[in-house]
Amino acid sequence: MGQENITQKRSSGGGGPGGGLPTTTANGGRGRSSTLLPRGRQLHKTFNNIKITILCGFVTILVLRGTIGIGNLGSSGDDAMNQNIIEETNRILAEIRSDSDPSDPVNEPESFFSVNDTFALGPKISTWDQDRKTWLDQNPEFPNHINGKPRILLVTGSPPKPCDNPIGDHYLLKAIKNKIDYCRLHGIEIVYNLAHLDKELAGYWAKLPLLRRLMLSHPEVEWIWWMDSDALFTDMVFEIPLSKYDNYNLVVHGYPDLMFEQKSWIALNTGSFLFRNCQWSLDLLDDWAPMGPKGPVREEAGKILTANLKGRPAFEADDQSALIYLLLSKKDRWMDKVFLENSYYLHGYWAGLVDRYEEMIEKYHPGLGDERWPFVTHFVGCKPCGSYGDYPVERCLSSMERAFNFADNQVLKLYGFRHRGLLSPKIKRIRNETVAPLEVVDQFDIRRHPVQGSSKSRS
Amino acid sequence: MLERFLGPRRVRQIHRAARNGTVTFLCLFLTVVVLRGTIGAGKFGTPEQDFNELRDHLYSRGRRVEPHRVLEEAQPETESDNQSNNYATFDITKILHDDEPEEKPDPNKPYSLGPKISDWDEQRSEWLKNNPQFPNFIGPNKPRVLLVTGSSPKPCENPVGDHYLLKAIKNKIDYCRLHGIEVFYNMALLDAEMAGFWAKLPLIRKLLLSHPEIEFLWWMDSDAMFTDMAFEVPWERYKDHNFVLHGWNEMVYDQKNWIGLNTGSFLLRNSQWALDILDAWAPMGPKGKVRDEAGKILTRELKDRPVFEADDQSAMVYLLAKEREKWGSKVYLESAYYLHGYWGILVDRYEEMMENYHPGLGDHRWPLVTHFVGCKPCGKFGDYPVERCLRQMDRAYNFGDNQILQMYGFEHKNLGSRRVKRVRNETSNPLEVKDELGLLHPAFKAVKVSTSS
Repeated sequence: MGQENITQKRSSGGGGPGGGLPTTTANGGRGRSSTLLPRGRQLHKTFNNIKITILCGFVTILVLRGTIGIGNLGSSGDDAMNQNIIEETNRILAEIRSDSDPSDPVNEPESFFSVNDTFALGPKISTWDQDRKTWLDQNPEFPNHINGKPRILLVTGSPPKPCDNPIGDHYLLKAIKNKIDYCRLHGIEIVYNLAHLDKELAGYWAKLPLLRRLMLSHPEVEWIWWMDSDALFTDMVFEIPLSKYDNYNLVVHGYPDLMFEQKSWIALNTGSFLFRNCQWSLDLLDDWAPMGPKGPVREEAGKILTANLKGRPAFEADDQSALIYLLLSKKDRWMDKVFLENSYYLHGYWAGLVDRYEEMIEKYHPGLGDERWPFVTHFVGCKPCGSYGDYPVERCLSSMERAFNFADNQVLKLYGFRHRGLLSPKIKRIRNETVAPLEVVDQFDIRRHPVQGSSKSRS
Repeated sequence: MLERFLGPRRVRQIHRAARNGTVTFLCLFLTVVVLRGTIGAGKFGTPEQDFNELRDHLYSRGRRVEPHRVLEEAQPETESDNQSNNYATFDITKILHDDEPEEKPDPNKPYSLGPKISDWDEQRSEWLKNNPQFPNFIGPNKPRVLLVTGSSPKPCENPVGDHYLLKAIKNKIDYCRLHGIEVFYNMALLDAEMAGFWAKLPLIRKLLLSHPEIEFLWWMDSDAMFTDMAFEVPWERYKDHNFVLHGWNEMVYDQKNWIGLNTGSFLLRNSQWALDILDAWAPMGPKGKVRDEAGKILTRELKDRPVFEADDQSAMVYLLAKEREKWGSKVYLESAYYLHGYWGILVDRYEEMMENYHPGLGDHRWPLVTHFVGCKPCGKFGDYPVERCLRQMDRAYNFGDNQILQMYGFEHKNLGSRRVKRVRNETSNPLEVKDELGLLHPAFKAVKVSTSS
């Protein structure tokens, strides 16, 4: 009953949250109430209702605002900004990855080296051996032997622009780290080339002008070692037995029977080879270069090579086939100073090696350099810097990762770590820290226990 | 209508009850909301969280259609990826995996870089005596130096990040080849607790202890490049010091400014002192609560430091400012040349430098090192616009590379170009031609002439 009074009072004021109810209960139906009350009263009541509704609504919003907050009305603005940043970044990335260059001449027609001219790497030099010897005598502080070993310069490189896909650059980075590690352990210097020194000889031919230039600029270097960017060292202990090659000027991995009997286009591999810094090498480079200039010269040469070498597909002339053809056709001129090495893997074709790493770890040890523990694992055909390789991507990349970690384990051994599996970028501790770390150093530092390859050849 | 069944009074009562119920319910609701807004409801969350969830839900409902579609389109491609030869669609994380689980560090043990060694100087000099074929000085004033740098073993998030890392390491290889310095490129995280910028500490300690023949260890960030190939660090200047960093005494000791020195490029002598300072430096590093709390202390104590977790640079400023008497005498804050050069003030002036000066100065006229702090080319977001960072890194790289290429008679067409042009013709007497900077056979690379081979 008391409630009824309160509600009656409320109704006279225009109604609380119930709004207009008392009048309806009193009169049983809205329709009738409107006819019973005077118009002005009704308007007043409606007006009060609206006022109170607005007031309550306002209070509700205030309360909710205090608790939840309005939120971020500018969120849509942020999204737009993010979108802009992403578009801008993509544009810049596309520019960086494109082959075009701000310094390229505009509207210049591409001119190719003519088929009728003979290409020359540079002015003919005939007295290099003598010049070099004189220079070495005059500059004893730059000897060609260090600690009893001939000075070696390892040369590698990659194209100056980013790879077609980011994973390619990542493996280039890992490959150069791998080479840095081997060369640090064996006192070899590295030149990493990212420039096209001769625009005629681009692509795989780019190594020829580079090697010539480095030989001539660094007379103190005794051996110059070209290594492809897709070749990894997998035996960190093995050292090339250079004394075996005292009478030779070019050391390349290859097989005599494939070369002379079958004339196969893969009889040797120019992904990893050594040139002695001498007149003979300059002459060979000069004889090798003519098939290189891009355009009609290279195309025509490619046809000759496919016709003469077994198993060679039809494509433009590459340096490897050209070298084989040269050594076959001018065998008497060159072959007496060329050593076709196959007693260790100066170049090791990856497909037959990468699955056996676990077996190797179990049965053998670093320092052998051959099929038991390959010196170099070379990922021919994988082409991670391009868009498409000759093999499935997953196989290539997982194999490269395995080879990298296989080698890295040998480097990390000195520090007491190894990878958590050949596919893992993470490492785990295999030896606790001690307060006498130098005992460990004596035992594990590869530099103190280098293993020269055996001089006996295995055919 | 109800009236007919229940009678008018009954109906009135029901209406009243309903109205009361409504009012009660509404008031209760408001009370709960207000209380929740102020106190929160524990695990049921606060209205703010509700709102965020609701908004995300509504927004993502709108967006989910697109990503969902993209994923579906990608699916058929990835299925055949086992045999795909296309590198663009491949996801490297699919093949990387750990064969062994990680060990959990003991949370109760205080962090230490390793067991305390107190006689490192004696151990080392003994070893050097027994191993004369690995001397710690390779020339009269030339100590054996190991340059250490590194990056993550995983591919960069930014698609061109790895390309810039490659160029940076080539740049370092070139400088180090010219100056007879060895390079160590680290891609291993030695200690998971000291991840990020702190990862260099366990690495440095490990290398110092494993290579006693090293006299100086030169740490250099992966985003720093050499821009003066001819400058040789003045090693004799530091014969009485163990730690050389670029910085200013007033900014570190007086102002306690967090950028008073830079730990992106520094020299550390292989000694007991170095092990001790590494041990004193490390405690702010372990990730998680320790690093966050330390970050707050550092922001409070150092001038102008923003709020973020503890970094190695601020920690070093704090350590030196706090314990100056203990460490200060052996620390050399070098500002005469750019052992570290902040890129922002250098990169626009390269053309002016080429016109007015020459390599070999190492200072503001021709900086030794241009350090791209804040650019973070390997990550997704840096502190500066992407275009500026990448373009300037190209320019700095080309600026340094020109000094290498000029040895062989080439140079870049311009600082923004990858292409090179010949600046010295080939001759038939290559040995008579000397390169202008004398970098082919520089004095700092000459070996001691000894009578025995």
